[in-house]
Amino acid sequence: MKKTIFSLLFVLLLSIGLAGCGGSNESSGDGGGDSGDGGEEAGGTLIFGRGGDSVSLDPASVTDGESFKVTKNIFDTLLDYGDDNTDVQEALATDWEVSDDGKTYTFTLREGVKFHDGTDFNADAVVYNFERWMNGNEEAFYYYKSMFGGFKGDEGHVIESVTAKDDYTVEFKLKRPQAPFLKNIAMSPFAIASPDALEKQGDKFGENPVGTGPFVFDQWNRNDKIVLNKNEEYWMDGYPKLDSVIFRAIPDNSARLNALMAGEIDLMDGLNPSDVQQVEDNADLQTFFRPSMNVGYLGLTSNREPLNNKLVRQALNHAVDKQALIDSFYAGQAEPAKNPMPPVIGGYNDEIEPYEYDLDKAKELLKEAGYEDGFEMELWAMPVPRPYMPDGQKVAEVLQKSFAEIGVDAEIKSYEWATYLEKARNGEADSFLLGWTGDNGDADNFLYVLLDQDNIGSNNYTYYENQELHDLLIEAQSTPDEEERNKLYAEAQEIIHEDAPWIPLVHSKPALGGSSTIKGFSPHPTGSDKLTKVTLQ
Amino acid sequence: MAEIAPQKQVNVQKQPDEEVLSPWREAWKGFRRNKLAMVGMGIVLFFILLAIFAGVISPEGINEQKLGERLQAPSASHWFGTDDFGRDILSRIIYGARISLWVGFFAVLGSAAIGSLLGMVAGYYGKLVDTIISRIFDIMLAFPSILLAIAVVAVLGPSLRNALIAIAIINIPNFGRLVRSRVLSVKQEEYVMAARAVGMKDSRIIFHHVLPNSLAPIIVQGTLAIATAILEAAALSFLGLGAQAPQPEWGKMLADSRSYIIQAPWTVFFPGLAIMLTVLGFNLLGDGLRDALDPKMKK
Repeated sequence: MKKTIFSLLFVLLLSIGLAGCGGSNESSGDGGGDSGDGGEEAGGTLIFGRGGDSVSLDPASVTDGESFKVTKNIFDTLLDYGDDNTDVQEALATDWEVSDDGKTYTFTLREGVKFHDGTDFNADAVVYNFERWMNGNEEAFYYYKSMFGGFKGDEGHVIESVTAKDDYTVEFKLKRPQAPFLKNIAMSPFAIASPDALEKQGDKFGENPVGTGPFVFDQWNRNDKIVLNKNEEYWMDGYPKLDSVIFRAIPDNSARLNALMAGEIDLMDGLNPSDVQQVEDNADLQTFFRPSMNVGYLGLTSNREPLNNKLVRQALNHAVDKQALIDSFYAGQAEPAKNPMPPVIGGYNDEIEPYEYDLDKAKELLKEAGYEDGFEMELWAMPVPRPYMPDGQKVAEVLQKSFAEIGVDAEIKSYEWATYLEKARNGEADSFLLGWTGDNGDADNFLYVLLDQDNIGSNNYTYYENQELHDLLIEAQSTPDEEERNKLYAEAQEIIHEDAPWIPLVHSKPALGGSSTIKGFSPHPTGSDKLTKVTLQ
Repeated sequence: MAEIAPQKQVNVQKQPDEEVLSPWREAWKGFRRNKLAMVGMGIVLFFILLAIFAGVISPEGINEQKLGERLQAPSASHWFGTDDFGRDILSRIIYGARISLWVGFFAVLGSAAIGSLLGMVAGYYGKLVDTIISRIFDIMLAFPSILLAIAVVAVLGPSLRNALIAIAIINIPNFGRLVRSRVLSVKQEEYVMAARAVGMKDSRIIFHHVLPNSLAPIIVQGTLAIATAILEAAALSFLGLGAQAPQPEWGKMLADSRSYIIQAPWTVFFPGLAIMLTVLGFNLLGDGLRDALDPKMKK
């Protein structure tokens, strides 16, 4: 009978233990996240729970969102995005002018701003930072290369020179107009760091960051927490409100939710859509939804049989019921996608008629393409939750079923995440689930990056090629006039819609959970939030 | 079961006035008296019937997604509720019985066949052969079995069939050792000696005399091993290494629904219950068989 008891125990373990799969690894020694009862002037400590630790706190050198979440609060950029959009507004620069030929930008800097180490912020500091980046290499400053086309001496490098006109005026000369220049300048990687600290710290700067931001770096225990304290001399009058912010890494989504419910943390991102209801039903908690600046899609590798046939790709597009997907696996917090970029992005073509969910139409198209009896293909599903697709496996199962309705037999496959990306990038998948979160809110950052033939082998995983589209996208890159540029992008989206290299699925609004005491928090579409205006009551 | 003649020889010294039963019938008599064992057999038969008649009794298919009816609580139309795809959980559990029994039965059949063969060879020939085979068993038993199974599936690639192969492999040493020890004692029996003395070939002695007399413990071990195999298959599927979507394997159903454990507990409760019941059934049956077949346990 011993065996029976053991087996029973094992079943219990299976059904309960693994299912709950929780338990936070350690308790924060900082005694909960509750604020003092200080009334309106309440400062307090906000504990932000997230899925992973930062890589480095030198924003110029990293690419991961978990690093930017922290550096955004330690550093400022010359320009910043709006609280919940990507319109540029003043930050360290109070004013900026563009020459008529679009090749000279002059920034007027904010006076009286000091870095956390007490040194002055001025034009020389800005020049120092840009010189540092443009003399670097791809390994050190990936985003600089990807946004400004290379480094000093490179053919594609956009910035000719950065010079200090006087203490508080900086002039950028470009080799050719770059339409999204201001949006690029506002990106987290291009935050201005203290030149003095950069000199002193050298390689260690990433562990001892010094900026001008609302919070001052205090300490970092790897894979556990990062502590930031209030910058008492922040240039924005009366801000920040919080006394300190602690970023804690709790990898498992359910464990993080448990920590939130237990009061160990005050705010968490990566809330499972299936848990949204539970948080909303809890009077002590509230949910936030990040405005959508992403797209989740099914890529149809367009150089593989039979997906190289446009009609087949269109047929598959007709076979997907996006709204049902959203209701089921996004807790309704997403909108169906018809274009490769979300509607908040300038240049979005709302005239496009989406491929409606119509199985008869899909079958007709398959018949026309000569695949009346359907075909077999692989359908890859990502193994990890992503902001644009919290549960790829489930989405894949729904798609598998939808495709089966029109005779397409899809086999779901999955690999470990890094392998998945590598194999998909190599064009080894027939169809694959993937997505993209915008970096700077510009159309170029979606259409060119994801679908231009230049980026095959990089971010264009579908191997989709179209010369006409390529010409449009390249032209748009150096067209400073907003209206004209948007027209080019509208046209580009029509071509993409017709060729259907993807099934655009959703633009999701990733969910966050927080204590109901949090006020003034608005999640930013880029995924990293400035906590300057947040209070705990 | 055609080869039961040798056992008759063992039992000839029964008292003449008592009705002489064949050993199998005698075992059955003992088995019937064991209430728990009968319950176990009932459960097992129940699941076997479910598996056989799944197509007839199940209200729906395994993958009839109705996203509009997802996560519905148990009701008259869906006795066990619906899962996150709006699929009828009862139907999936009924079809799941097929998968679990299939994996359990064939995995055990495979490991019993290979394990018994190796065990007989090791036990019968002894010496170097025995040392090599037994040390291999020791090495295999030194690994936690589920870890070994994961390793095997990692090599073969995740699928239900490969999970079955993995489970068969990891259970080989259990049968091997059992049969080896049994053979060691059987080969000392007079009838084996006699067979050898008259010049019978080794293969005939092994398959006609040694094997039939080692059958009872293999059957007991096999029944118990089915329970373990079903659990292991569920565990592998839970980890994504066994059944693949949309197969309604119970362990996979648990894994797929675990994020709904608070919101929709029935999505994990029923698959868990199904696993528990089958495992319990096979264990009770196995225990009962042991009691009935083990000569030492006889009154």
